[in-house]
Amino acid sequence: MHKFWKSGDPFIWLSGVALMFSLLMIGGLIFLIAAKGLGFFWPSDVAVLGLKDGTSVMGVITGHEKVNGYNAAPDAPSIYRTQVKIGNRDLYGLDFKWVDDDQIVKTDYPKFAVVLERREWGNMFGFIKDVSESGTIICTGNEKCWPVLAGLVPQYARIADEIKSIEKGAIGGINMKIEDLRLDIKGLRSEGASQEKISKVEAEIKEQESLYKGQEEKLFSLYQDFNKEKFVMTSIDGREKEMPVGAIVQAYRPNAMNWLQKSGLYASNVWAFVSEDPREANTEGGVFPAIFGTILMVFLMSIVVLPFGVLAALYLREYAKQGVLVRIVRICVNNLAGVPSIVFGVFAVGFFIYGLGSTIDGIFFKEALPNPTYGTGGILWASLTLALLTVPVVIVATEEGLAAVPKEIRDGSLALGATKFETTWKIVIPSAMPAILTGLILAIARATGEVAPLMITGVVKLAPQLPIDGYFPYMHLERKFMHLGFHIYDVGFQSPNVEAAKPMVFTTALLLILIVVALNMTAIIVRNRLRKKYTTSAV
Amino acid sequence: MSPKTKLKEPKQVSSGVKRRKLADRIATVIVTIGGIAIILCIIAILVFIGIETVPLWQGVKSELVSSFILKESPDLASYSLDSPDQSQFPFMAAGTEQYKEIGFIVTNDGMVNFLSLKDGSVIKKQQLPGLEGTKIASSYVSENNKLYSFGTENGNILPVRFDFKMSFDGDKRSIAPAVNEEEPLNFGTSPLAIIAYEENEDGESAGAAYTTGGELLLTASVESASLLGGGEKKRITHNLTGSLEGSDVTALELDRFTWNLYAGTSGGKLYHWDVRNKENPVLLEVLNAAPNSNTPITALAYLLGDRSLIVGDSAGDVSVWFEVSEPDSPKGKVLKRIHDLPPMELPVVDILPSARDRGFIASDNGGNLNLYHATSEQKLASFKTDGPRVENLVYSPKADGIMAIDRKGKLYDWDIDNSHPETSFKTLFGKVWYEGYSKPEYVWQSTGGTDDFEPKFSLTPLAYGTLKGAIYALLFAIPLSIFAALCVSQFMHPALRNTIKPIIEVMAALPSVVLGFFAGLWLAPVIEKIIPAIFTMPIVLTIFTLIAVFAWQALPRRIKGRFKEGSELFLLVPVILLGVIVTLWINSPVEQIFFGGDYKSWFYNVLGLQYDQRNSLIVGFAMGFAVIPIIFTISEDALTSVPKHLAAGSLALGANKWQTAIRVILPTASPGIFSAVMIGLGRAIGETMIVLMATGNTPIMDWSIFNGFRALSANIAVEIPEAPHGGTLYRILFLAALLLFFFTFIINTAAELVRQNLRKKYGQI
Repeated sequence: MHKFWKSGDPFIWLSGVALMFSLLMIGGLIFLIAAKGLGFFWPSDVAVLGLKDGTSVMGVITGHEKVNGYNAAPDAPSIYRTQVKIGNRDLYGLDFKWVDDDQIVKTDYPKFAVVLERREWGNMFGFIKDVSESGTIICTGNEKCWPVLAGLVPQYARIADEIKSIEKGAIGGINMKIEDLRLDIKGLRSEGASQEKISKVEAEIKEQESLYKGQEEKLFSLYQDFNKEKFVMTSIDGREKEMPVGAIVQAYRPNAMNWLQKSGLYASNVWAFVSEDPREANTEGGVFPAIFGTILMVFLMSIVVLPFGVLAALYLREYAKQGVLVRIVRICVNNLAGVPSIVFGVFAVGFFIYGLGSTIDGIFFKEALPNPTYGTGGILWASLTLALLTVPVVIVATEEGLAAVPKEIRDGSLALGATKFETTWKIVIPSAMPAILTGLILAIARATGEVAPLMITGVVKLAPQLPIDGYFPYMHLERKFMHLGFHIYDVGFQSPNVEAAKPMVFTTALLLILIVVALNMTAIIVRNRLRKKYTTSAV
Repeated sequence: MSPKTKLKEPKQVSSGVKRRKLADRIATVIVTIGGIAIILCIIAILVFIGIETVPLWQGVKSELVSSFILKESPDLASYSLDSPDQSQFPFMAAGTEQYKEIGFIVTNDGMVNFLSLKDGSVIKKQQLPGLEGTKIASSYVSENNKLYSFGTENGNILPVRFDFKMSFDGDKRSIAPAVNEEEPLNFGTSPLAIIAYEENEDGESAGAAYTTGGELLLTASVESASLLGGGEKKRITHNLTGSLEGSDVTALELDRFTWNLYAGTSGGKLYHWDVRNKENPVLLEVLNAAPNSNTPITALAYLLGDRSLIVGDSAGDVSVWFEVSEPDSPKGKVLKRIHDLPPMELPVVDILPSARDRGFIASDNGGNLNLYHATSEQKLASFKTDGPRVENLVYSPKADGIMAIDRKGKLYDWDIDNSHPETSFKTLFGKVWYEGYSKPEYVWQSTGGTDDFEPKFSLTPLAYGTLKGAIYALLFAIPLSIFAALCVSQFMHPALRNTIKPIIEVMAALPSVVLGFFAGLWLAPVIEKIIPAIFTMPIVLTIFTLIAVFAWQALPRRIKGRFKEGSELFLLVPVILLGVIVTLWINSPVEQIFFGGDYKSWFYNVLGLQYDQRNSLIVGFAMGFAVIPIIFTISEDALTSVPKHLAAGSLALGANKWQTAIRVILPTASPGIFSAVMIGLGRAIGETMIVLMATGNTPIMDWSIFNGFRALSANIAVEIPEAPHGGTLYRILFLAALLLFFFTFIINTAAELVRQNLRKKYGQI
């Protein structure tokens, strides 16, 4: 025994526990998020649970747990219960139901069980009763109606797309124009312009309004088409629900699908998640606007942070006289990377939004006041905030890169008659490129995951328009935007229906982790590649 | 430019050289200016945040906008100001509207004179008809200085409201003043020397009056409770003179609920009646409010909200009192002296509260005015009149102006800029006794439901929360990360190290919003179920590891040799998983044996701890998760860069690997590890999303691991979108940001300096 302790092995292994525990935690976290997030898209089978009291519960089984949990008396018999996602929020009010296992008599997976993904009220589980066109019934019964319904859904999806494109595109554009013209009139009035000019603009508004009428009529007829074909669903407890075919996004029968079909549906679900707009207060649908907002914001930030970061680093390392002052500045810059991000957010609120933004509004957007244009949060201010936040990262990385360029190379270039600028531009910067890029990618990775300063500088839970669209001036930097990280916070913590939104949050978290980890990995790979390339070419 | 062209065209070369030189010079200038500008910009962040907080510390700015002698106006010239009797001043009350354009003066013959505050000219005159020819003897102001009441010489209290109708024509503003008299309340026939009058929200009115004959009367007009819904007004009068025991009343005050009546006496006593039941007023208490019995109470007034009583006496003392719960007293509450304000030089004459904040003005017998703030116990500003005594005080409705009329009939009109009266070092960081609290406390509660809410801006509970979260995070992260770093750097093959380090670095890149969401939504409910297991886990894991080591040592050398140095530690993965499963399995037996079957009630009954689902334990885990990679990476670097010959020497002298690591390597690298911990602490202090999502965000102050907290950073994120630009809350949040900045900046600088010294030290070894 003495030898056992004396070898030191127990302690080494105990320190090993610390390491392994940390590694397991990372692995566990990522595994859990991945499992919960990826499972969300899988078209699970729909079960019908027959209960002792003669009723049945229909839905997707989502959980199973011990009721007496870990807190029960040790000799108590274990009781389990099953969580079922019963959907049909409009009928039941709740999406989930717990069923005690000892109540379940039998479990079926009926082939005709239909899952409807709806535009409103979440999923519906049930059976088709009949389908009717303009009041006359076309077919009745599950078997006959399924092909009819399955054929109709894509048609309606096309109509839905058309409606959306009119609502968001044409009508949105007209509204924007009218709004602009109204502001023009307001501006003209305050300038004291002649009535003639004003009535000219008013005529333009009339013109736009008539265009609007035309679009509205088109929309109206589409909506009428939209409600032409209706169908009736029966839920497992016998309640009937009539709805237009247009109300559903997609319909499928998971119990009748084979593995391959399910995989296909899974892939299309994943695609819908990253390419579609959110529905139902962000708890359903996709996260495309959030992805778009995140990427655009990071892109704008990069445009700002790269030149400025590199310039500052060049100054500190190549041009400034190395001394105590520069050393102090360097420590300061270094430490700035550790300053809490919320502090930058506070600065942005005070300086960008209330300072710069209000000034810009006062000069250029007077007619819109008191509604702020730039004097409120927006993607421009958010990007600038993140640029400030990440500029130390770029400076530090670039400086490291510059410091690593051997003095001989510089001396060689200078000796051949190149000026300092030429040496820096053509010799030093290319050699330091890997470091600069690493700095940029690390800055992007940090910016992608950052939420706190954005919450107060322009991120919103639901932005009606993307910051880029087809209307002049195309890039609307004053607009508020959506962001993946904020989406997680908002849906997970501020949503009224957290339980139903949870899978969505896990999926979004997984997406964010994937983006951030991929960016970090790229940083590492790019650094290694370029390092190899430049070390060979430079020597 | 290729060398060929150089040779061919020498002239071009010289111009080319010039151009290149110019480009070089321009580049130097751009880089220098740009570089310096960027660095200055970054530093300007700190300066900007600092500047935004400066107004919090600035006192009140005041400016005398106008002053004029009222007698010079022909309409007021007839009033005599020379009477030696102090009670014979002809101007009974004064006031103004929110834009401070028009003021009014009520004279003792019941004439309301509206006058322009620019030049003192009378714009409109109106007689109070309800006066019926008698004179006004006393006046009283209530309901946030909107309800004026006048005690007459024939025993009535006459309530009057002054109405200012604003109309706008484009940008031009015109104000039309009007007088609205209400139903008078009768007290008999003797002149009323001192009065108090209020109307409550139920339409009942009540008044107290002290007559020149030395009688204290309470009269109320209440709706009589008849079966048919009534509507009949009933007048109730009580004579309270008996309970005064012969003392002279010098001041009266009634609250706007008509519940409490206070009378100050010439003997320095404060009589307190409970008048909730108008049929039966009860004398609750008699308090000594003045330093001695020769000091009369000279002024009484309620602060905004009508719960705190301001008392002024002839010694110049100004104090604020409110009721504090005291279960033994008849009412369950007793009036206590809470705030003592800096005294005035001469006897206090009059006190007038602000209609906007918890400030008030007081005047003394020498014509001085002081502007006070009750919560922060500050004298914000003082004003001086030519004096001898200020007869009328006016506090403008927006609390941005003060007016006074002195004994000689001179009117003074000051503009004041008093945006942040409630902030002082004490209110921001110290214990303050807030209205309704039983003792001084640190409280953060920035907004309330009502207009008369007393804002509570103590940053102490927030700073406490920040530190609490950081400390629990470090308690979790430090042992794990340092031992992991020691293990990787000392007991593992470099190849293994190179694969493990990037994995941990990826952990550092995990967005904190993901950690916060995970902790708040998944971890918190799970941990709530298995608290006993959390505590048994370290013990079980230790036992399992020791068993594993024992088994490992028993293995034949042939098998052991197959493992690369350090890779045998991966055998711990199944051991740990097994340990975790076992702890979960023994969770309920453990809970049965040690916690009586329900740990929550055990904690509550035995330790007095409340269990919140989102608590410091959860934050400790989640934030520890964010901090581990930082501490790990930096301390691993420090440990690896300890010169190899130290370890070699130790091993050669017969120490085993563990002894070498813990006695030689660890102490040598300890400054580096210290700096790692400091940087980790800096990160934990500034972390926002995790504390926002994984705590309940309640600003409470206790160290219990099972309670949540509210951190500075989360508080900023939650409150700044709601804080009006330039307001007190807005600036206090900037101050909070500044505090965070300094916390982290100092910590990081300390860490950086330690690290640089360490680098030097290694160079010398």
